[in-house]
Amino acid sequence: MPQEWLTEAWLRVKALLKRKRLERDLEEELEFHLAMRTEKNRALGIAANDAKTAARRRFGNVTLVKEDCREVWILTWLETLWRDLFYAARILAKSPGFAAVVIFSLALGIGADTAVFSALNAVLLHGLPYEHPEELVTIFSTHKWDPTPGIDLVPLADVAALKKANHVFADMGAIGGIGEATLAGLGEPVKVPVQTVTPNFFTLVGVQPVLGRVFRVEESHEDSQTVVVSDTLWKTKFHGDAGVLGKTFRIDDIVSTVVGVMPAGFKTFGPWFTGKQADIWQPVNPEDARYANRVGFWIVPLARLKRGVTLPQAQLEMDVLEQALEKVYPQQNKGVGAEVVPLYEALYEDSQNSLYPLLGAVGFILLIGCVNVANLMLSRTESRRKEYSVRASLGAGRRRLMQQLLVESGLLTLLGGLLGILLSFWGIHLLGAISKDLPDAENIRVNGRVLLFAGGLSLLTGLLFGMAPAFRASRTDLHDALREGESRTATGKHSGTRYLLVVAEVALAMVLLVGAGLMINSLLRMLLPSPGFDPANVLTMTVLFPPTGGKYLERSPGKPMERISPKVTAYHQRLMEGVSALNGVESVGMITMLPPLGSGGRTLSIVGHPAPDKRPFLGFNEVSPSYFRTMRIPLKRGRYFDERDTTNAPWVAIISETTANRYFANEDPIGQQILLRYTYVNDVDEVRPRQIVGVVGEVKQAGMGGVHPQVYESYLQQPEVYPGGSDGFHLAGTLVIRTTSDVRAHAADITTSVKQMVKEMDPDQPVTDISTMEDMLGEYMSRDKTYVLVLGVFAGIAVVLAAIGVYGVLSYFVNQRGRELGIRFALGAQRRDVFVLVAKLGVTLAGTGLAIGVALALGLHRFMKEHLRLFHVKATDPATYAAVGILLVCIALLACYIPARRATNVDPMTALRHE
Amino acid sequence: MTQKKSETGDLLRDTLDLLILKTLSRGEMHGYDVAEYIHERSDQVLGVEEGALYPALHRLEVRGLLAAEWGMSDNNRRAKYYRLTAAGRKQLAEETAHWKRMSYAIARILEPA
Repeated sequence: MPQEWLTEAWLRVKALLKRKRLERDLEEELEFHLAMRTEKNRALGIAANDAKTAARRRFGNVTLVKEDCREVWILTWLETLWRDLFYAARILAKSPGFAAVVIFSLALGIGADTAVFSALNAVLLHGLPYEHPEELVTIFSTHKWDPTPGIDLVPLADVAALKKANHVFADMGAIGGIGEATLAGLGEPVKVPVQTVTPNFFTLVGVQPVLGRVFRVEESHEDSQTVVVSDTLWKTKFHGDAGVLGKTFRIDDIVSTVVGVMPAGFKTFGPWFTGKQADIWQPVNPEDARYANRVGFWIVPLARLKRGVTLPQAQLEMDVLEQALEKVYPQQNKGVGAEVVPLYEALYEDSQNSLYPLLGAVGFILLIGCVNVANLMLSRTESRRKEYSVRASLGAGRRRLMQQLLVESGLLTLLGGLLGILLSFWGIHLLGAISKDLPDAENIRVNGRVLLFAGGLSLLTGLLFGMAPAFRASRTDLHDALREGESRTATGKHSGTRYLLVVAEVALAMVLLVGAGLMINSLLRMLLPSPGFDPANVLTMTVLFPPTGGKYLERSPGKPMERISPKVTAYHQRLMEGVSALNGVESVGMITMLPPLGSGGRTLSIVGHPAPDKRPFLGFNEVSPSYFRTMRIPLKRGRYFDERDTTNAPWVAIISETTANRYFANEDPIGQQILLRYTYVNDVDEVRPRQIVGVVGEVKQAGMGGVHPQVYESYLQQPEVYPGGSDGFHLAGTLVIRTTSDVRAHAADITTSVKQMVKEMDPDQPVTDISTMEDMLGEYMSRDKTYVLVLGVFAGIAVVLAAIGVYGVLSYFVNQRGRELGIRFALGAQRRDVFVLVAKLGVTLAGTGLAIGVALALGLHRFMKEHLRLFHVKATDPATYAAVGILLVCIALLACYIPARRATNVDPMTALRHE
Repeated sequence: MTQKKSETGDLLRDTLDLLILKTLSRGEMHGYDVAEYIHERSDQVLGVEEGALYPALHRLEVRGLLAAEWGMSDNNRRAKYYRLTAAGRKQLAEETAHWKRMSYAIARILEPA
């Protein structure tokens, strides 16, 4: 009786868990007995003392009885368990093939699941290292000019206004982006990730420094500043010396004094919530007059909800306050709203998107593995019925038989689980590559919680696939099974379950294949088409002036405009002249941001056209006249920039083909006047309009996935003054150097020379991001490639497991039907007929699974669309479905072929005589 | 420690199990009542120490032949009550039949022909 067995197992587990309780119960029970006997004795007229002694005598040795009772519960059980384990090991060693397939199936499932769970554990379940992180919220601005829906940053002045007016937050601060800044004054200048935060940031998140102090509210960054450094920087640059406090160096030419060191493991996040970490924090003061002009959407407010305030309440308050701000600043704040988002959500949404499909995938793998194992166990139970019957007839109870079988599956699970955990280490390594830019990625590792998960999972699978065969075996009919030849008649009864399981396996594998297929399809669509330029033999390196300007920028506090030193242009000009004269250099060009890393933005209006409600958004870059030729970006119409396009000549612009097609559909763009507007400043246009002089070929400027309309300006034709915060693009420059022959032969020499030239012009200026264009593209796509690889590996595992399932069931079919096939041969059936008979079963099973799989995948298309990064591929893409379907059918046929072939080799005489 | 007991006879142990099952077929009882019942019915022939009853009760509970529950006794004390489960009832029937066959066989051998 299964219930019986379950009750017993439950009682024993309870006994193990509640030993104390058991002990107490035992004590009380025996005590009761002795008390009853004493009373009885006294009723018989024995004196109180003697009555007690007599009761004890009659009872016997109380301690010994207790011990025996305890043993009943625990020891005897362990003994039988040990015996079963020994027996199970011997049985399994006798069929190593079976054991290997089962252990391998489980290990793959458990390993993959554990690896993905460890990532999930680190990235999603791991708490932020802040005090009460659940109270922290971020605020994004929703605003009018950006055509793409989604989040946007906030001007600092709004943070100050919101902080002052709100009643829902205990405190409010803000964080800026984590940018590379030049650290000078400590040996060779280097780039370090620096983050601007409001002075109250550290107290807001509730983390104390290990050394020194955090910022005071009035501290702000202008001509000199205080900074707080990370543990990493402290250890690498200052060798963990406590004397670091008070040390000064220059960050982007701003003299900076260290006042504090944060503890190891302290981490912040940029406004885009990637895994990038800052090593230096510098203060900015939202009250500062410089930010009063409400320009520069560059900061994310961070606030702590007051106790008891809910998210909707905070949101309501922000809506009210934003409306009030719009009334006070009708121009700047027109249409600007605020959205309150919990910090957790802001940080982890992206991680969830990339991890959930993987979690789904490994869940499927585990299911397929379990189904496989259950199927194998079923077949094995059938073929071992005789053994069970013999054991039963020798007196083994059903309970014992079941326990024995469960121990056998337990042993298999244990081995599978251990191997799985080993596999998961490798899996984690792979996942690390995908998730390196996720927050908390460095925490992805096997820890107690992960091991607990793996253990629980193994236990669950063991029960899942171990239970069914155990029940079935316990129902073995003694007499039937002992009769010779029984197996041939009984199989039909149980085949249904087996077939159903195989169909389920194929269906699950199909869903995984569809997911992986879609991703591969999408990746190919990104990689195969030309990026729009020729990346071969191009060396790139970045010469980025401090975005805050330093000595190249003249800033008047409180005024909105910033004047760029003419030295910047001269510097770039001289550098390019020098580089082009180097040995092995064919040509050199410069662009602000390399494709496919992105672009800045400008909104467009065409002079003479009616002003649109919403100005179109164009990707924007400054380039040198030589850029297009060096990158071999084709000219479609008009001309490239040349050296005569200076500030004194008429101002010009070049647009991309997409821009031309989209905004000049029915007219010639060449000669049209356009007015470009800075996107990160409200309502500020460039000082004068530009004439379109050329149309160039499309370049994958912002990501490999698609093309976005672009506009280019010459770096020689730029205004002297910019609205604050918009000058970064003029200060930044990436060199593209085309070499005369193999770039790898020249890269080292050219790099050394460029560094030398830069050092001569400005010793504080580092040269960074030195890479060949091809390496850079490879690196850029590496995350997507690894993701596809992982998903592909998962799908591959699923298919192999499903194929093993099909193969196993058909093999079993052939083995059991040997006699029937022999008769068929004897009656004159052709080999082909028998082959078809077996193959037909296989194809029917695989085909049914495939059809169900397609239906399942279609049902999941919304999930796939949401969570897979698909470019130009619909989640229902018929070509992908067809391709993976054909692949699966081919593999299923292969799995059918071997058993079908063996069926044709059945010797009718042997098969019949075997009776 | 257990050695000695098991030497005194598996037969005794099996018999004790059977007696307990039989006793409990009358209904729910606590250990003391089981002991009293066996003691009285056997005309005090089975001179078993009363304590030996408890490991046997627990063994039967673990095997699922008995179920146990805590309740109140007649004199208002907490006591552990045992009752037969379906499996126990079945076991009792099998064992009884077995025992009858055995004793019949033994009696036939022992009696002079």
